[in-house]
Amino acid sequence: MRLNQHQDYYEVLGISAQATEQEVKAAYRTLVRRFHPDTNTDPDAKEIFQRTQEAYEVLRDPEQRKAYDRWRERHGLSNPSPLVLQCTPSHRQLPARDEEQMLYLLLEITPNNKVPTKRLPFNLCLVIDRSTSMQGVRLQRVKDATNFIIDFLDESDIFALVTFNDRAEIVIPAQSQVDKAFAKSRISTIRSTGGTEILQGMLAGLNELDRWRSPDLVNHLILLTDGQTYGGEKECLDEADRALGRQISITTMGIGQDWNDKLLDEIAHRSGGTSTYIDSASKVTSVFRECIHSLATIVARGAQISMQTPTGVRIQEAFQVSPQLKWLPVRHGAISLGRIDAEQPCSLILEVLIGPQVIGQTHVAHIELDADIPSVSHRQAPIKHSVQIEIAPNLIDVEPAPPSIVSALGKLAIFKMQEKTMDDLERGNIEQASQRLETMATRLLNIGENELAKAALLEAGRLARTGHLSPEGRKKIRYGTRSLSMLPKEIRHD
Amino acid sequence: MIKCPSCGKRHPENTLFCDDCGAYLLAEGRKRTDPLAVEDVDWMETEFGATGALESQDAVPMTIRLSILDTGRQIEFTLDREISIGRLDPATATFPDIDLTNDEALEKGVSRRHAKITRKGTELYLEDLGSVNGTLLNGKRLTPYLPHALSDRDEIRVGRLLMRIHMI
Repeated sequence: MRLNQHQDYYEVLGISAQATEQEVKAAYRTLVRRFHPDTNTDPDAKEIFQRTQEAYEVLRDPEQRKAYDRWRERHGLSNPSPLVLQCTPSHRQLPARDEEQMLYLLLEITPNNKVPTKRLPFNLCLVIDRSTSMQGVRLQRVKDATNFIIDFLDESDIFALVTFNDRAEIVIPAQSQVDKAFAKSRISTIRSTGGTEILQGMLAGLNELDRWRSPDLVNHLILLTDGQTYGGEKECLDEADRALGRQISITTMGIGQDWNDKLLDEIAHRSGGTSTYIDSASKVTSVFRECIHSLATIVARGAQISMQTPTGVRIQEAFQVSPQLKWLPVRHGAISLGRIDAEQPCSLILEVLIGPQVIGQTHVAHIELDADIPSVSHRQAPIKHSVQIEIAPNLIDVEPAPPSIVSALGKLAIFKMQEKTMDDLERGNIEQASQRLETMATRLLNIGENELAKAALLEAGRLARTGHLSPEGRKKIRYGTRSLSMLPKEIRHD
Repeated sequence: MIKCPSCGKRHPENTLFCDDCGAYLLAEGRKRTDPLAVEDVDWMETEFGATGALESQDAVPMTIRLSILDTGRQIEFTLDREISIGRLDPATATFPDIDLTNDEALEKGVSRRHAKITRKGTELYLEDLGSVNGTLLNGKRLTPYLPHALSDRDEIRVGRLLMRIHMI
């Protein structure tokens, strides 16, 4: 076996080292067709063509491929990436059509279990609303949950605690080696009084984070509130934008019914964080735990998916389906994913429209995952994936899509209905919103989400009678549909 | 295009869920051509125009008559352009020149876009358009997308529907 010292055969074929035999073959066919010197007059074509053949000669044969993999490992080419990107098309074969047809791609990004990752120390600031409405059980549960975080901290973690009503108070200034007993005694002194000015809390919290801020830390702010803020909404959003620029992400948590879900969503979204709805005080600790665990298992930051498609193929829309359902903006063929943690793997659905294609194997997309891996000192090469399908002229029946994709799409469809319902409401289209909620309830029942279905049905009725959603129902539906992806359930079709 | 059976919204082929009403587009009964029971039929030789070439070279037939053998319906048409054979389906914007819907096309496994007849010089060609149940010429199955020369009184079968061609 002849080995070119500077050549990674997998890279030549544009596939991952985990590619199946079929993928190897498909990648080879596409490249050979494109770069055949008889048809391609580009001066480089001949060389690419030869390299492709050389790579294929080795990788097609299981024995030679094994030997090559060993050689590759010895030469450090196989530096295993801490992330694994899996790419599943809804169909491997599509019929030949003279119009556009849909192909879904499910991208799953999971941590590579074979690569050990170490937890990055926190630079964490907790910003808690202590307005009058927080008094009683609510504040007590928040204190319990804060104590849970204190217990979780390591010596290298930096922690700060800020409370706010009309103004902010720094209860625990940002510090490492937190004295846990002292911190807990400080927490016990928090009393509820006054109004809610989120901006005050945010400013003080970000200020604390700034004192230790470093790329080697997880710089994060957790904001918990139960009420509408008095003014300063625009300034809050500006602060969120600035936080993103300083690599500080913000998790927002709304407790009870009276907080402004749109504002909290937007603050979290702009900083690259997430927002959560806590419907009952008893759930505060579990929400805090989830948030802390996700921060503690960060595998990658600044993750980005870039996509290239040939002429006649276009990405219509992209959605995240896990950890939360959300629409992902595509800018210049790239999607920004932010941080990836081991606790909640990230998966996306791409809606790809395939125009009329030549019969045979067709290359439909080239996907690249690039991310900053904090546990590895050097920047890893992007993970590449090439997606091929076959256009078959006499395809009798399109093979059903894999259940994982159908199930993800089912939830995505409900999520889209929810978004449209909220749009209908904003445009004052009450009747349509109410009908949509009713249909949504049926879909939710089909996938076994009885609680959420009931809430949707109740709100559909309320909407028809009063023209409004209840604040509680609105939050239940918005955050409930977003979290559908978290509960994998078997899909049923009526 | 496919149409959502519950709300009527249009989607590209192979879309799985309607994003307006959340309906699963495969489960709720698309009006699609079902494959018929598998039959043992010889495939037509694949050489282009090897059999059944038009014998009389003197006149170029401009008009053709198709008789549907089962229903006795006769259709005449002029060959000044490509003639498509299939089943009308406004939902997918399929409007074939020869619409076989009233000849029980759906039951007999005719695809929406089933086959087409074209004229090249002095010869006529029949081409299967990747239909579900195929096109047979004088009892032999056509390779999809490969035009085959037609002669007077040839028998054409689309799905289970039999027709005879007359050149006038």
